[in-house]
Amino acid sequence: MSGLPAIRYHDLRHVTGQATLIDIDNGVVESAGTSFFNRAILRVLGPRGWGILQIDNFSPCSKKKFNSLLASASRLAAITQQDVNLADAHHGALRVPAMKEDPRGVGIEEKTTLLAEIELAARHPDVVNRRANYIERSEQVVFSDSSGHKFSYEICRSGFNVLAVASRNGTVQMGYERVHSIRGFDLRHRQEYGKKAANIAVALLDAGHVKGGRMRVVLNPELAGVFAHEAVGHATEGDLVQEGSSILAGKVGEQIGNDQLNIIDDPGLSEFGFEPCDAEGVAVQRTELIRDGVVNAFMHSRETLAAIGHGMAGHARAMAAEPPLVRMSNTFIENGDATLEEILEVCGNGILLKGSRGGQVDPGRGIFQFNAEYGSLIEHGECTSMVRDVSLSGEILSTLHGILLCGNDRTMHPGYCGKGGQSVPVSDGAPHILLSDAVVGGSGAH
Amino acid sequence: MRWWVAVALIDRILKQGERRVDEVEVFFAEGIAVSADLKRRNVHIATRSEECGLGIRTIEKGRMGSSTTHNPKQWRECLDAAIASGRIATPQQWDGLPHPAALGTDFLCYDPSLTVDPQTAYGLLERMLEGSAEHEAKVTSGSATLSSTTEIIANSSGLRYTDRHTGVSVSLEAICEQSTGSEFAQSCFFDIDPYAVGERAAFLASHSAGGTNIPTGDYDVLLSPIAYAELLGAAFIPALSGRNVHAGRSRLAADLCKPIVDSQISMYDDPFRCRGLGSTFWDAEGTPTRRVDFVSDGVLSSFAYDLRTAYRFCKESTASAIRSGPNGGTGIGHHNFIVDGPRTDVADERVIYVHSVVGAHTANPMSGDFSVEISNACMMEGGEFKDPIRSAMLAGNVFTMHKEIGGISKEIRQIGSLVLPSIKLISQRIIGK
Repeated sequence: MSGLPAIRYHDLRHVTGQATLIDIDNGVVESAGTSFFNRAILRVLGPRGWGILQIDNFSPCSKKKFNSLLASASRLAAITQQDVNLADAHHGALRVPAMKEDPRGVGIEEKTTLLAEIELAARHPDVVNRRANYIERSEQVVFSDSSGHKFSYEICRSGFNVLAVASRNGTVQMGYERVHSIRGFDLRHRQEYGKKAANIAVALLDAGHVKGGRMRVVLNPELAGVFAHEAVGHATEGDLVQEGSSILAGKVGEQIGNDQLNIIDDPGLSEFGFEPCDAEGVAVQRTELIRDGVVNAFMHSRETLAAIGHGMAGHARAMAAEPPLVRMSNTFIENGDATLEEILEVCGNGILLKGSRGGQVDPGRGIFQFNAEYGSLIEHGECTSMVRDVSLSGEILSTLHGILLCGNDRTMHPGYCGKGGQSVPVSDGAPHILLSDAVVGGSGAH
Repeated sequence: MRWWVAVALIDRILKQGERRVDEVEVFFAEGIAVSADLKRRNVHIATRSEECGLGIRTIEKGRMGSSTTHNPKQWRECLDAAIASGRIATPQQWDGLPHPAALGTDFLCYDPSLTVDPQTAYGLLERMLEGSAEHEAKVTSGSATLSSTTEIIANSSGLRYTDRHTGVSVSLEAICEQSTGSEFAQSCFFDIDPYAVGERAAFLASHSAGGTNIPTGDYDVLLSPIAYAELLGAAFIPALSGRNVHAGRSRLAADLCKPIVDSQISMYDDPFRCRGLGSTFWDAEGTPTRRVDFVSDGVLSSFAYDLRTAYRFCKESTASAIRSGPNGGTGIGHHNFIVDGPRTDVADERVIYVHSVVGAHTANPMSGDFSVEISNACMMEGGEFKDPIRSAMLAGNVFTMHKEIGGISKEIRQIGSLVLPSIKLISQRIIGK
């Protein structure tokens, strides 16, 4: 390889596997099939930055062929200017948690029958559409690098979504439930999720709109988890901090929230965002992003750790054949000691927001937004009428100071997070939390 | 894979498949892409991608099955999986895959002069950085990508079409104090202006710095094509899908032939638009494309159908099948969705200009209700950007806002498969902070 820029480091991550998708729409099995994937990424660190090859349909090759791939990536690296260094990090892989029942051992006919039962459970006179999807993705991951690290593991994620759409007199509303896990097949006896989706959709037909403005807000555990993810998680991603796109840059050691607030990211937790090791083969570990309301650490790849410090590597994640990005995995607010009854009582008058339709953040501006599936007005400490289409937006630095109480009832919820064109499985969680003076969006007149 | 090898493989799959099922469709795509990414002002990563995808769809007595793979050598397994999948699917009315038609032979989205190499990508980044230097803002990240893809769709009715696509895209993000700005451009032809992209990103960041809050109230709002695209795509366009209409998931289901938007506004899909990013002579199922008028002078006139939905509900396909990628399945969409009408100077009178929004995807896709954070917003008068707004929410409904239109701009912009003007909306609810 004479004439090529020096290669300081290289790694190869090869992902193969299959995905099974079932789609049942108003009782019609639209699709129920399996597809196959095989993608690899070869990263080469040249004298300055990265040269990367993304290869569909990769197969392990001879040393000569592999050297030619290295040479190709090295030529790409030759145009880079950014001085990239890699921090030392402990490599290693956790054992993938055992599944109670391996989904791959269940026939697609049986899966379809079980999913149809969930979809059928969403029947209701006001429900005009029921739709259920089953998603199962089984990945075999093989990682190796020029430092001699080699890991391979297999992980299977599976779960389902069920949607109910209710309609009456021109008003259309929906209820949506989802269950996704790494813990094995979970389609049996789950009809209650279909019923719940239908009940929410129908109840929302009669729900009112909230008048937008500042008010006290209680977030349920699912939505408070999204709040932690959007309002804090993204802003503590080392790559965003490094490039100057995070409002939390330079704020390590600074108090930014209530002194009872602790926010953690832990890829090793046996939840939907679990990773045995990160996409650089680095051992994963629990990172306390916010400790007692103080910015404690950032999430890092080896590169961002070397560049800015303050935190831990092991947070690089990637879709098959995509470059590793610093990402969250299982992100949560730790339990406080308040009960829900105490939270409602302290709230007095405000709104309880439940469920999540997703969220988004501009970490450089420090502005976040997320939407609840529905809410309930809180009057004199009691939940009263149901409201729909309620969102919440705010500024990271001021909103965290506005957390008045953290409950003692944390639960985790699965989802997907998008960044840089890549979508990865995550889980978010929290107990109920009480926010003072939050900005609620809604189009109601009263 | 050599191209004639791919063609021979497709013939083999069709032949094998026809022995086992009524009909077979094969899609094969292969391509390369090169990109270069900035971290601040330095090139950080250079990437070359080699993409390959094979998709097989089978139909047996109205039962449809499908499967995809990255590995063409795995075609037997893929064919088996497609047929197995079809055995489980609910049978439906099915009147056959399209036969070959005499269509244009040009490649509508192909620029033979476009070079897919890292140096070209590097040059695009350099020009963006030069443009960004016009304003006081720091570049945080950016990207330039060049691509070239060849696709074949073939079926057991004798249809075989080949298409070639090229693409170039650039994007830049900048920050000034606590204000961010981003801009992008994409085209099938090497005709984008990276300097202007860099200049706009830096301008948006610098102009938004030092913004102030505004009180809650009802304001006239001018949505840029980007902000409009975000809201339109979240709820309005899905409601035009024939599948959603017949499944009970569209708010517009009962509105055919009724006025649904301002009477001066039309919305249509033009698959032959010159230099359109989605221009094509055939859709993802091989059906010859045609113009589809969804809304004519404010009146809902058509929904979008693919073959599957059309056959099921005794409709005609509007050739609206699209593929989600080389390894994706097909669904109902559009090629170049255009919003049109009489064009005016919409920024003459005082409005709140909204460049983009945060959280459009959280809109209620059934009801169309949304409440989103506005980004790079400012007061605008006489077409000039005035006082920036620090932070506020825009709350409304994607469907009803189309009845509150105060005009659309003379300028249009292509954003992916959407071709949109800026749109002025009268008396929209802004929640100040």
